Amino acid sequence: MMKSRPHMTSVTLSVVCGIATALFVAAVFVRADEKPKDDKPALVDYATQIKPIFAEHCHDCHSASEHKSGFRLDTAALALRGGDRGADIVPGKSDQSLLYQAITGAGDVAAMPADSPRLSTEQIALIKRWIDEGAKTPKDEVAESAHIKSDHWAFQSIKHSAPPDVADKSWVRNPIDAFVLARLEAEGLKPSPPADRATLIRRLSLDLCGITPTPAEVDHFLHDQQPAAYERLVDRMLASPHYGELWGRHWLDVARYADSNGFTIDSARSIWKYRDWVIDAYNRDLPFDQFTIEQLAGDLLPDATTEQLIATGFHRNTLVNEEGGTDKEQFRIESIHDRVNTTGAAYLGLSVGCAQCHAHKYDPISQREYYEFFALFNNCDEPNFQVPTSQQAQHRERLTGELAAVQKQLEQRDADYLKGLPAWEAELAKQSGGTWTNLDPQTITTRVGSVLSKLGDQSLAVDFSIPANDTFTLVSDVPLETITAVRLEALTHASLPMMGPGRAANGNFVLSEFELEVQPLDASGNPTGTPQRAPLDRAIADHSQVGYPAAAAIDGNQKTGWSIDVDKGSLNIDREATFLISGGIHNPHGSRLTVHLHQNHSEAGYLLGRFRLSASSATPASLEVPASVRRILAIAADKRSDDHRRQLEAIFKESDPVRQPISERLGALKNQLDQLDREIPTTLIMHERTEPRETHIHIRGDFLRHGARVTGSVPAVLPPLPADVKNPTRLDLARWLVDPVNPLTARVTVNRVWQPIFGVGLVQTENDFGTQGSPPSHPELLDWLAGEYMRLGWSTKSLLRLIVTSATYQQSSELREELHARDPANRLLARQSRIRLEAETIRDVCLSASGLLTPQVGGPSVYPPQPEGIYVLTQQKKAWPEEQGPARYRRGMYTYFWRSSPYPFLPTFDAPDANTTCTRRVRSNTPLQALSLANDHSFVEIARGLAGRIVRQGPAADAERLRFAFRLCLAREPHDNERDRLMQFLSTERQRFAVNEAEARPVAPLDADEGLSLAEGAAWTAVARVLMNLDEFITRE
Amino acid sequence: MDPKQNVLREITRRHFFADCRMGLGSVALASLLGKDALSAATITHLDNPLAPRQGHFAARAKRVIFLFMAGGPSQLELFDYKPKLQELNGQVIPPSYVKNKRFAFIKQDAKLLGTNRKFQQHGQCGAELSALLPHLATAVDDVAIIRSMKTDVFNHGPAKLFTNTGSPRFGRPSMGAWVTYGIGSESSSLPGFVVLQSGPRGPRGGTPLWGSGFLPTTYQGVPFLNGVDPILNLSTPKGFTSQTQGDFVSAVKDLNSLRYAQVNDPEISTRISAYEMAYRMQSSAPELMDLGSETKETLDMYGVDPAKPSFARNCLLARRLVEKGVRFVQLYHTDWDHHGNPGTHLGEPLDDRCREVDQPSVALIKDLKRLGMLDDTLVIWGGEFGRTPQGEPRDTLGRDHHIEAYAMWLAGGGVKGGQTIGKTDELGYYSVEDPIHVHDLQATVLHLLGLDHLKLTYRFQSRDYRLTDVAGNVVNKLIA
Repeated sequence: MMKSRPHMTSVTLSVVCGIATALFVAAVFVRADEKPKDDKPALVDYATQIKPIFAEHCHDCHSASEHKSGFRLDTAALALRGGDRGADIVPGKSDQSLLYQAITGAGDVAAMPADSPRLSTEQIALIKRWIDEGAKTPKDEVAESAHIKSDHWAFQSIKHSAPPDVADKSWVRNPIDAFVLARLEAEGLKPSPPADRATLIRRLSLDLCGITPTPAEVDHFLHDQQPAAYERLVDRMLASPHYGELWGRHWLDVARYADSNGFTIDSARSIWKYRDWVIDAYNRDLPFDQFTIEQLAGDLLPDATTEQLIATGFHRNTLVNEEGGTDKEQFRIESIHDRVNTTGAAYLGLSVGCAQCHAHKYDPISQREYYEFFALFNNCDEPNFQVPTSQQAQHRERLTGELAAVQKQLEQRDADYLKGLPAWEAELAKQSGGTWTNLDPQTITTRVGSVLSKLGDQSLAVDFSIPANDTFTLVSDVPLETITAVRLEALTHASLPMMGPGRAANGNFVLSEFELEVQPLDASGNPTGTPQRAPLDRAIADHSQVGYPAAAAIDGNQKTGWSIDVDKGSLNIDREATFLISGGIHNPHGSRLTVHLHQNHSEAGYLLGRFRLSASSATPASLEVPASVRRILAIAADKRSDDHRRQLEAIFKESDPVRQPISERLGALKNQLDQLDREIPTTLIMHERTEPRETHIHIRGDFLRHGARVTGSVPAVLPPLPADVKNPTRLDLARWLVDPVNPLTARVTVNRVWQPIFGVGLVQTENDFGTQGSPPSHPELLDWLAGEYMRLGWSTKSLLRLIVTSATYQQSSELREELHARDPANRLLARQSRIRLEAETIRDVCLSASGLLTPQVGGPSVYPPQPEGIYVLTQQKKAWPEEQGPARYRRGMYTYFWRSSPYPFLPTFDAPDANTTCTRRVRSNTPLQALSLANDHSFVEIARGLAGRIVRQGPAADAERLRFAFRLCLAREPHDNERDRLMQFLSTERQRFAVNEAEARPVAPLDADEGLSLAEGAAWTAVARVLMNLDEFITRE
Repeated sequence: MDPKQNVLREITRRHFFADCRMGLGSVALASLLGKDALSAATITHLDNPLAPRQGHFAARAKRVIFLFMAGGPSQLELFDYKPKLQELNGQVIPPSYVKNKRFAFIKQDAKLLGTNRKFQQHGQCGAELSALLPHLATAVDDVAIIRSMKTDVFNHGPAKLFTNTGSPRFGRPSMGAWVTYGIGSESSSLPGFVVLQSGPRGPRGGTPLWGSGFLPTTYQGVPFLNGVDPILNLSTPKGFTSQTQGDFVSAVKDLNSLRYAQVNDPEISTRISAYEMAYRMQSSAPELMDLGSETKETLDMYGVDPAKPSFARNCLLARRLVEKGVRFVQLYHTDWDHHGNPGTHLGEPLDDRCREVDQPSVALIKDLKRLGMLDDTLVIWGGEFGRTPQGEPRDTLGRDHHIEAYAMWLAGGGVKGGQTIGKTDELGYYSVEDPIHVHDLQATVLHLLGLDHLKLTYRFQSRDYRLTDVAGNVVNKLIA
């Protein structure tokens, strides 16, 4: 399919060498023969008059070998095509041609030729004439192919080398060892002896599953004398569902997976279904080529399955900037750059991002090629996708059917009833409305901590940092003798999302309950007696969302409430609700009113944003029609807006007694549907647009400066797309990435698989296989592995099996002295490396050693305990409903990841920030890590769990118990000096705790046997804490 | 007990409480165990990536305190008085100014807004300041005011990243990380780069603002909190006393040492040092936060109520931190985003912000001077951008984000005080004289610390990255 390739960036040029040259000569001949018949000067001849000028003055920078600004002048057709900034020559219009502007030094382009003398006046005049005459060009001029040749190793096809011969054949277990040993023998080095079995089983377990082996598993392996015991262990581990978690997590680094949108607002997002898909893909060993195709272009596959759509979440892990005043297009484009860069780093091992602003300085990628690659990603929409269970899907279908029927019924009824509107209006016009007195609360308290500030107009605005739910309590003294109603106005404001009036993302809110308490004031204005609850008769709103009537705010049910979303028009306008007090309040000196505004909607953030309270003494009848409606009625009928008309109709329809039951039924159905929709998980996916977007080169990377228009393609230095692909899509790109002819994807991928197992890749610069990257330590091995990976059908499990069954892998990691001098970074692999575990794995080994681990695979993210004070430094507080059940002990990878304020343990141990792709984690070693493991209360809690396990499951004698504890944590037996040191520590702690039960209580395990004293339990927690803080515990030996 | 254990224990004890900054403990341990394979130099390097080291040339400043005014203070209300702007107040800005310009909120036809603040000249240098900054007015002869700052991006998150990391995108190390990577830190008991926060919320952008990007996490800023634990997980857990914590640290150290003796991995000795440092931090950080030893006079000078978190308290803490050798301290004070909404406008909210920061930041200069530390402590004051000469049509007085010209000031650390650098055009729209781009400022800060911004690089994705990206010129006018 992909063999020799034509030059891809100049597709407009069809090049057929021999014949074309002949034709060209003929053409010149004909032209020369056609002498002008009149006195007009002859047309400028490109071949003889213009091309020589270009050749002498321009070709150094603008021809096949070098094409600055993407512009070539070695053929007229290329000259006309133009460079990165678009057309350089406008035939017939020299003054509009960039080329002419450049050689004359006019316009806003750099004067050309750069750094050398200007063209002569005659030459400039000639070029001007040529352009103005229409820039006539020979049709058959031949371009020197700009096929980009590179002799850089990574751009050459993968070579299959036979494993080399080695002297010590007995050491070789599979071809990997032959490659490694040949190099060692050449260097005069010997490999290290194999690690002992306890080390091996812990190593394997940490490398393949990321948890500690149980003492029983260790025993079984230590005593398995059958041949191939090790291989069977490997197979068992690869079959564990925990394998998919660990290796899925590695991939999620590349995918920059997180549970929030990033930047400053950093709202929550739901994309954990994608994480589940990744885990599952590893567990079922989905071949890596298919894994790639589904993630990059699952939506474009014929009859794409739900799973394949979920897989496209890979490139939906980009950030979304929700900050006010941002340009949506700017950040959409930012996310495409991120997709291009991520794809480049993850598959091609190339830092293509450099070419965003200019041609890549080191690798053969032009700016035009970058935007051709970019174009492939520029055609998608980014929808949210529901992933219901089959039961949920059926339920939803039934509900929507019923809903449609009731909706229709209601519309018919409304159409009939609205005929009475004019008469109603006329009747209303005769009455006058009651007046209102604004309340100016003297005390304002909030249950959870919203901060309310008074604006000048007695309205109150809710401060920025807001909790999920809250209750506002406002106390106001009102001088009115009689109070018949209290009104709540929900008011819009520029500081609110979409102008408000609520704080939800769309400006909505839900008032769950409105409560009123009254105390009479005495003659001097002091309250008397205790506050009495005032019974409320009715609630009348100028608008209510279907399913959220104002009456729901006085029904005593916190689960229902008043809300204001609309079917048509904008919800972001002022609204009001009037609450009529049964019988009214009558106090001669006025009253103290205490209003409780409960906002406890099941979705977070549905709070009022700005509001005002007022009271009235008017008769209930005069308050029936909200003041806002009266204001509309005051406007002449033909001056009313659509919103006005809708509001009037809405309030009139409320008075229809027939309507109410239908409307309630509709509301109930909508509530059910809302409820169901909240339960159905959603995930973010890609969806290709039918109308593709135009892509232009962005001059200097500025998305507002459009250069030449480009269409999708791949860099010319790599094999071309198949010839039959005319309008390439993401699907073609994905297939091209995993085409066996592509020299990079397999190499880059096996290198990344190698990396966590040996601590460093065969190519150390795992994300740069370009000319500036480091060359492979074992080039033949890299190619052999890449070839083998494809031969194994891109099976990652088979590749891993191959690697971990090698003798190279099974070596001891002890640092021999001669190696420290010769090969401190262990690039030659004369030993294994000691590798500190990754952040999530550290949590996982703590949990698995202690036996607390909840082994559930997949599902939504969870909230393990975290230290206090995390959100002091974020713009908005984040929800962190600390888990109380088994979810408290899930693996680290399921911890909810807020990009602006990650769970602190994770970044402390170098987990990536998920803002950009991460193809390799750094491993630091810091005091903050020490503080975290030693003092974080959630680790102390796990240590207590470990102590519980030790005393519950371990033998009774101290020394034996210690041995058991050691094996739980490190798989191996303690050495004598280690055991002695711990025995000494145990007895010290035991004595300390024995005399201080108060100290022992918060330390002792919760679930220890009844016979165990607090001091004994606490002493074992102290021991467990030491073990969990050992370097060896958080290290893969 | 095993005699070898006794010796080992003695050694660990002796060195545990000593200053082990250079990995002395591990070196001693290595020789005790007869392992001399690793040179002391190697261990030192591996042991403490924060060890102090020389820059590229002699430094003028040894440490930095960056007072970051998050949100973008209005230079037009504080530092840059424009009579022409007053004159044209209420008129639509001439289109020539805003052709092809984009703004976060306002439109092309926004109206110019004069200031209602009074300006006056101060000090021997005659620096012009608004009445909002009476304290700064008394210190202008020690301060270099820049009126011609420029930046590239106009949304808060990207602009804060830009000022801190030299790039509006994620992934680059922050200035404090570059500095501690370049010259380490002189504190052996506190982190080298500390971040303090005051104001109603954290700065927009969060942890990447003081992150280490692709540099090792060792160099990232450590936020100090206002609670009981200034550093997360600093307190010994409930039920463990300082004595049991001592036992714990000692047991961990001994067992790690035994493992080290067996496998020779220098990472273990680094971890031993990390636990030692952590243990020291457990006492040094709370000591640092305890202002009991400060005189009433000092507290009053800063305007600190020791019981309350505030910018003033953070300024005093910053002084205490640099006294202990911390290299880079960054204070964020939020809520300068004065668009003109209730609570965020150029009236009382601006008065409040200025009241909160003016006295303490000037007290910091004076206090450092009193202690003889101002000469080698660089103090920087400013935000991620400034505010437009055009008003923003909201409820009340406000301005939009502005990147073409805004103001910052610097003091101490080799900066030439008593000068105002740069000029804007008659409307205060563009920097027309001595424009100083964010990258120039970054180059200058590094220069004052003895670092060449062109040479302070880190190789990532096969490119040598710098704080100043591909730009930046040292501003010689700023340097004494």
